[in-house]
Amino acid sequence: MFDLSEIFTLTLIRATVRMSTPILLAALGLIVTELANITNIGIEGIMLVSAFIAVAASYWSGSWIVGIMAAVVAGVLIAALMALIHLKFKADVFVAGIAINLFSLAFTRFLLTNWFGVAGSFYSPQISPIPRINLSFLEIHPVINTLFNNYNLMDYLAIVLVFVFNFLIYKTVWGLRLRFTGVHPAAVETGGISVTTKKVQALLISGVLGGLAGAHLSLGYTTQFIENMTNGRGFIGVAAMYFGGVAPITTWFASLFFGFTEGVGARLQTMGFPSQFILMMPYLATVFAITFSMIRQQRRLTQKQPF
Amino acid sequence: MNKKLLIILSLSLVLLIGTVAMADSPVRVALVLSGFLGDQSFNDSAHQGLQRAVEDFGIELRILESEVPADWEQNLVAMADAGYDLVIASSTQFQDILDRNAGYFPNIKFGIIDGVVEQPNVVSAIFAQNEGSFLAGAVAALWTEYDHLPGVNSEQTIGWVGGMDIPVLHDFLTGYRQGAKYINPDIRVLVSFAGSFTDPVRGKELTLSQYEQGADVVMNVASGTGNGILEAAYEEGKYAIGVDLDQDGIYPGSIVTSMLKRIDQAAYLMTQQVVEGTYEGGEVLYMDIANGGVSLTDMSVMQEALGDDFPTEILEVIAELTQKVRDGEIVVETYEGFRRN
Repeated sequence: MFDLSEIFTLTLIRATVRMSTPILLAALGLIVTELANITNIGIEGIMLVSAFIAVAASYWSGSWIVGIMAAVVAGVLIAALMALIHLKFKADVFVAGIAINLFSLAFTRFLLTNWFGVAGSFYSPQISPIPRINLSFLEIHPVINTLFNNYNLMDYLAIVLVFVFNFLIYKTVWGLRLRFTGVHPAAVETGGISVTTKKVQALLISGVLGGLAGAHLSLGYTTQFIENMTNGRGFIGVAAMYFGGVAPITTWFASLFFGFTEGVGARLQTMGFPSQFILMMPYLATVFAITFSMIRQQRRLTQKQPF
Repeated sequence: MNKKLLIILSLSLVLLIGTVAMADSPVRVALVLSGFLGDQSFNDSAHQGLQRAVEDFGIELRILESEVPADWEQNLVAMADAGYDLVIASSTQFQDILDRNAGYFPNIKFGIIDGVVEQPNVVSAIFAQNEGSFLAGAVAALWTEYDHLPGVNSEQTIGWVGGMDIPVLHDFLTGYRQGAKYINPDIRVLVSFAGSFTDPVRGKELTLSQYEQGADVVMNVASGTGNGILEAAYEEGKYAIGVDLDQDGIYPGSIVTSMLKRIDQAAYLMTQQVVEGTYEGGEVLYMDIANGGVSLTDMSVMQEALGDDFPTEILEVIAELTQKVRDGEIVVETYEGFRRN
């Protein structure tokens, strides 16, 4: 009854990459903050506001580049608000994150009615989408072409960013200091570096990445804005970040894993599997991933102790 | 002395304002949604109908939106408590909520669209979405055979993507399947649910995977999620079928037709009943093919986009099927788990 060859096709790999990109971009931002000891669940709200601003800017300017830039600026501003709440006024980081998420949901609704006079969703042929990239040198072979060519610009950019952040975190002084901010803040302060400055930097960078993730949802993957269109992808980013052990390259694989469950799910449903079960898969995968990374962490902690 | 005069004056003033307000006070209608406006579909349709009622009867309209199930009951009760003349709960998801609460507000008139609540102060409107979907399924099954059209492959496969997995959507699906099989008994119908009415990204992904599995026409029954379905059709050069509202013009040339569920008509009728005093609690308005409550669009947008390539015989087949359903020659099945009463 179930023809596996119809599920595991080359296009499944494409779907996996497509679905992993927003999760990956969010997770990269989360890695940076997590290293500075901030679990920034506000990334969901950052993505949502950025998704809206990206559409608005692209609509008015007719340029997706302006859309992305505006989304990044918006992401940084929301992240700065987060920094203000958490670092200056010392609110608990989860409370601050939840506040940002609830605020973003209401704020985008407000702007949607206020700027465009519509409720719920906004789309228009005037919105300029982020283009797909055609690399002609990949057209040498149909399989290679299907696997690697004609992705959205953001899909490629996210992968490049994995390596950029891997370099920044592990090969630069800035990265070393960032990592120490989380591990041993007192040592960082003793070294004459402000922990707060490092944390602010980390949050602002997560704003940039959250901004890109949001722009990808509303200008890359689809060309529209719908209320609450992030639908928990920022939270799945948190899971991917933990599952990937708070390191860029492994987190990339973790994001691909989540993208894969979505992609397989989409195909299994049409084969007649009950949708309730299939729709549970990404979340089941999340529970599995968190459990797995917690067990690993515990084991590491017990190994560290001499007794 | 002065004080007394003042009191009398102010009292008469209050009375005066009171009577003036009474005489002029418009019928107050509240619309409670289980989602947001802007879905280009179900919710917007209800809104359009009431907007028409605002123009025709000068009613006062208040809309409460939320996609959080916990808010729905609160919103409904708040509107009843505020003394609105008519509170319309627009979606099947309000069925149990309204059934629980209608008894507490015997003086308030309620309406429910897309569900039935048997209470003396509730008018229910239900749609024969299975009948409308039957026609949509027939269109899809015919369309997938027109290989000469761009984007249509030789496989006899069509698709269907729904929002949440709830009984009313299965009623759509039942009709869609029956209509498709009526045209071609061997046709393959791919089915997916997004699990949400506000996730266009997933809607698009599900649609793309159905296209990859050979479908060339996918029906959208997914409110806000459906915007992603339509976009997938446009980007891939394939086809989609719209739902609830006329969605043909969103991506001209990509949307074959839309199955119209005249939610606007139901909301308008209920308001009209209250304004004209013909409202009768406990009544069930049955909106089907016969009374124009459900139908397909005339496909004029598609016709214009394709020009001479447009297969005009499809219109004849649809007209014929419509007549057969109307005459009872074809009986469209209902999903067993869907309460119709």
